[in-house]
Amino acid sequence: MSEYSKDYTMDEMLTVLMAREVRNDDVMIVGVATPCVWAAFTLAKVTHAPDAIFHYIMGNTYVFEPRQVSLLYLEMNTARAYKFQNSGECTLESLPSDTLTTIEWFRPAQIDMYGNTNNICIGEWKNPKIRFPGCAGIADFSMFYSRGSFLYTPRHDRKTFVPKVDFISGVGFPDGKPSICGGSGPQCVITNLAYLTFDNETKRMKIGTIHPGIDLETVKKSTGFELIIPKDLKETKPPTEKEIKLLRGKVDPLEIRKLEVLGGKEREELLNQVIEKELAMEKRFPNLLL
Amino acid sequence: MDSKLMSLEEAISSYVQNGDLIGIGGLSFWRKPICACREIIRQEKKDLSICTFVGGIDVDMLVGGGCVSEIRASFVGMEVFGMAPHYRKGVESGEIRISEESEASIALGLKCSYLKVPFMPLKGIIGTDFPKVRDDIKQFEDPLGSGTQLMAMPKIDLDVAIVHVNDADEFGNGNIEGAVWLDDDMAKTAKKTIIISEKLVETEDIIRLPRRAQIPMQTTAAVVKVPFGAHPTSCFPNYTFDPIHIQTYLKTDFEEYKRKYILNKTHSQYLEEVGGVQTILNVLL
Repeated sequence: MSEYSKDYTMDEMLTVLMAREVRNDDVMIVGVATPCVWAAFTLAKVTHAPDAIFHYIMGNTYVFEPRQVSLLYLEMNTARAYKFQNSGECTLESLPSDTLTTIEWFRPAQIDMYGNTNNICIGEWKNPKIRFPGCAGIADFSMFYSRGSFLYTPRHDRKTFVPKVDFISGVGFPDGKPSICGGSGPQCVITNLAYLTFDNETKRMKIGTIHPGIDLETVKKSTGFELIIPKDLKETKPPTEKEIKLLRGKVDPLEIRKLEVLGGKEREELLNQVIEKELAMEKRFPNLLL
Repeated sequence: MDSKLMSLEEAISSYVQNGDLIGIGGLSFWRKPICACREIIRQEKKDLSICTFVGGIDVDMLVGGGCVSEIRASFVGMEVFGMAPHYRKGVESGEIRISEESEASIALGLKCSYLKVPFMPLKGIIGTDFPKVRDDIKQFEDPLGSGTQLMAMPKIDLDVAIVHVNDADEFGNGNIEGAVWLDDDMAKTAKKTIIISEKLVETEDIIRLPRRAQIPMQTTAAVVKVPFGAHPTSCFPNYTFDPIHIQTYLKTDFEEYKRKYILNKTHSQYLEEVGGVQTILNVLL
């Protein structure tokens, strides 16, 4: 293990922690508009999980090789597949399987203490204050994974962590019990403040570790329900220098992952920068990372 | 054998009726038949139900154009560019209805259509709030006695499917080089299928392509040739999506957008308006 980095940003912390959850035998779903997830899987693949397989929703493909994260040319990554499927096959075959697809990250707009999630709307469904894009496959997959489902959000606040979600579109532990569909349920929630897990007995959310520089009060204050707090509270292990070097240098040098974290003008500037740099590329195949 | 080749105008006016349930192929920003969406807006079609696996600018544009009364999609958004503004406004104001869908609900709905069964069982969705907003789905116990709880997901019978492909012959065989998504299921189960193709080839050429025809001619009603017809979405491996035009779309008032890019525009005039040769060079892979 190389030295821990002393110079990392929040998006890098999130991405590295997500990468560390991947196992060498995983089949990793890369969804739509989730560059953090893509960067995390690619980082895992070039560090501790060389045999892991990408399952791209945008291509409905199984892909073995890791390539640099890209905005405009992502189909170049997905089309180099050893297997193509259509969405029907892909969704229906992978749904109950323990081998075709094993790990997926969901980013909820709202989450409750049992890991039930909402990506549908704020307010009443019939008359919503905010309509979100929708939950895509979360309603199908969240209750099935034998590895469980994995959650993340760069917005650890009381708008996200709520006592009751406005619409359950992803199943956690309904009423504190495992889903009758047989999956292992949510395993962790990685946020900008902490690494959260679920208590074995009560299935309630508890603090696993708190990120360096964050205090317990901040985490409690930012959560809209009571978290279980372990007696010996530990600090999250930050990214290593090696992880940061790979992430910045190889996996995602254009910092596309940051689009998930930034807002407003900063975000727009980064987006324009990424577009400009990618349009200027002569070679439109993202770099192979082997 | 009769040729099914026709103009985009003729295909949409012949096969798309007000009130139809229309399946749109592609996913998100990828291989969407956007030229057909513009034609639907030009022809002022009304009261359409739009079904697509993952929607983006296609759905948003049709909602903005006032053509839509209902959306059936597992997701409608503009990806890293943000939310789909007209879709969001339409739902929040109650102007359009939603049939809340997941990925499997659409995939299974189309499978029902092949099999002519009213529903397919799904061991998912259970535990979500979907049953509260979908009175056409129902949880039930396995009638064969295993005790398993299941969700009945209803059939989706499309009136029309519109898909964008790389290659097609004039008889309606269509070949997709990249991901197929639900395009083949839509094309094969819809009552009428319109294929928009980048390129028109001989049947002989389709036979020689590695994955041949995912879309068979016997279910195709119309073939339309429109190079760059998926713009501003992608058509792999010909071109990627046009991020600059997507940003323009999001920044432009829809009435102005319609005047500038949709109404009274031929396809070549449209390509000129969106940036002409430079735009084409930008997106070519």
